[in-house]
Amino acid sequence: MINVSNLRKTFDTIEALKGISFNIPQGECYGLLGPNGAGKTTTISIMSTLIEPNEGKVSIAGYDLKKNPLECKKNIGVVTQEIALYNELPAYDNLLFWGGLYNVPKLELKARIDEIVNLLGLTDRKNDKVKTYSGGMKRRVNIASALLHRPKVLFMDEPTVGIDPQSRNLIFEVVEKLHKEGMTIVYTSHYMEEAERLCDRIGIIDNGEIIAQGTLDELRTSGSMKETVVISFTNLTDERYTAIVNDWNDLQRFDDAIHFYSMNIQGDLSKIILKCNEVGLDIIHIDIRKINLETIFLSLTGKQLRDK
Amino acid sequence: MIKLVKKDLKLFFSDRQGIMLTFALPIIFITLFAFIFGKTNNSEEGKLVSLVHSVAGTSVMMLLFSVAGIGGSLLDEKQDGMLKKLLCSPIPPNHILFGKLVFANIISIIQLSIMFVYAWLVFGLDIMHHLPSLVLMIFTIAFACSGFGVVLASFAKTRQQVQGFSTIIVMIMSAIGGSMVPIFVMPEIMQKMAVFSVNYWGIQGIYDIFWKLLPLTDITFLSRVFVLIGIGTLLNFIALLMFKKNILKIV
Ligand SMILES: Nc1ncnc2c1ncn2[C@@H]1O[C@H](COP(=O)(O)OP(=O)(O)OP(=O)(O)O)[C@@H](O)[C@H]1O
Ligand SMILES: [Mg+2]
Repeated sequence: MINVSNLRKTFDTIEALKGISFNIPQGECYGLLGPNGAGKTTTISIMSTLIEPNEGKVSIAGYDLKKNPLECKKNIGVVTQEIALYNELPAYDNLLFWGGLYNVPKLELKARIDEIVNLLGLTDRKNDKVKTYSGGMKRRVNIASALLHRPKVLFMDEPTVGIDPQSRNLIFEVVEKLHKEGMTIVYTSHYMEEAERLCDRIGIIDNGEIIAQGTLDELRTSGSMKETVVISFTNLTDERYTAIVNDWNDLQRFDDAIHFYSMNIQGDLSKIILKCNEVGLDIIHIDIRKINLETIFLSLTGKQLRDK
Repeated sequence: MIKLVKKDLKLFFSDRQGIMLTFALPIIFITLFAFIFGKTNNSEEGKLVSLVHSVAGTSVMMLLFSVAGIGGSLLDEKQDGMLKKLLCSPIPPNHILFGKLVFANIISIIQLSIMFVYAWLVFGLDIMHHLPSLVLMIFTIAFACSGFGVVLASFAKTRQQVQGFSTIIVMIMSAIGGSMVPIFVMPEIMQKMAVFSVNYWGIQGIYDIFWKLLPLTDITFLSRVFVLIGIGTLLNFIALLMFKKNILKIV
């Protein structure tokens, strides 16, 4: 459905994209995950015809973006990172306008607006001016405005930035519903939980390059990363530690705690605890650190995904 | 494109302050000028001239302010991300500009009409006997000014800049074009410079109708019409070039 190959884009001296490629089959939700300035918005902007790449090709729904931008545009819905709505108009009028740009017949459009407004929990407020809305409500309207022409492909650029949990959940539900209905979605975020929850496949982007991509499981195993269980004891002595090391060599001691590393914590946890009991260790705390996108990202780049 | 114009009209009419500025302020100005000039003239003709001048001078000046605001709204839409979204949609990018120009024409025509109707109702300006010429003049003045706002906007980065720019430029054009002090009392050199401002041609056209009492077919009157259409065409053409070059540049 979406083919992107070798996109490069340079702004003045900044190399924003250094050869981005990915293919997204129909119906997939693809997550582009990366820190600030990684090149997510630039990628989305190129795919939605807003900026031209210096190099590279994009095709959407079988159309080449450069040769046939109009057909591409008809098939794309874009949820921009900024909330682009007319504040002085009611949400309903905003939606009429944005949907109208895609030549949806008026009656059909009105029916779709009612449906989506309901889905996003805005029915009561739809005739109020957008300027009276909360940030989360505006975001919801912003998303609705990209869906009215029922695009085959949806680009969402950080659609949940700066909003309340309730709005966030509503947005997730909508994305999940659209995904179920077979829409192809590109979702950018720097929240790993969102990508983990919503996306079939994830591309990790940093400094204008995709440094890893695959399903969450693929990403977990590809890095040959290990999960960690950290166990703290009240009575850890050198002898007891040596006794443990004899049986389990992939570990490290930090004062009163031992870090056990394993590819499969779930399976190994009981063995580890059993061993600790055998040597008479008294456990006061167990902390399991699973592999998630955050740790994957950390191991790939040596950076945190987000500033804490 | 019709949808774009409709949206702008909706936006316009939902903004009370904007309506006041566009329609009520000019009326206040006309009234003020008419009183000031009227006081200094006692003859019948003097009274008429001062009324015609108040209406003509004010109308073109206020019109320029309105279209500058409309040009500025293009920058608002760019800053707030609406332009991006419009460009993602299948409408041709130039329609965004054409929509604004049509909208500017509509507002200008309404604004001018209101001013003349007001002058008729309150000060007895005889618009009824000159309706065809007046309508033609209103349309051409509106057209001549429509591109002005977009041209201004395309040289600016933000709405605030447009506001600053436009105040200065409109004031200068109005001063040399005879919107404030009537052109016929200015020194000769000023009168020569006046031809470079839109105001001059619009004001002269209105003089022709109500003061000189020229018929619609008079060549002097028609020459003003043609010059105004020429100015409009030129400004719209520059607007189109600048729109593509500056405003559509997202990065
Ligand atoms: N219009 C522009 N002019 C110059 N540099 C730009 C422009 N747009 C983006 N950049 C640069 O390109 C790089 C990628 O930016 P981009 O907006 O794509 O990042 P992002 O992943 O969307 O980040 P964020 O999470 O902050 O939205 C950054 O270094 C940015 O400074
Ligand atoms: Mg971004």
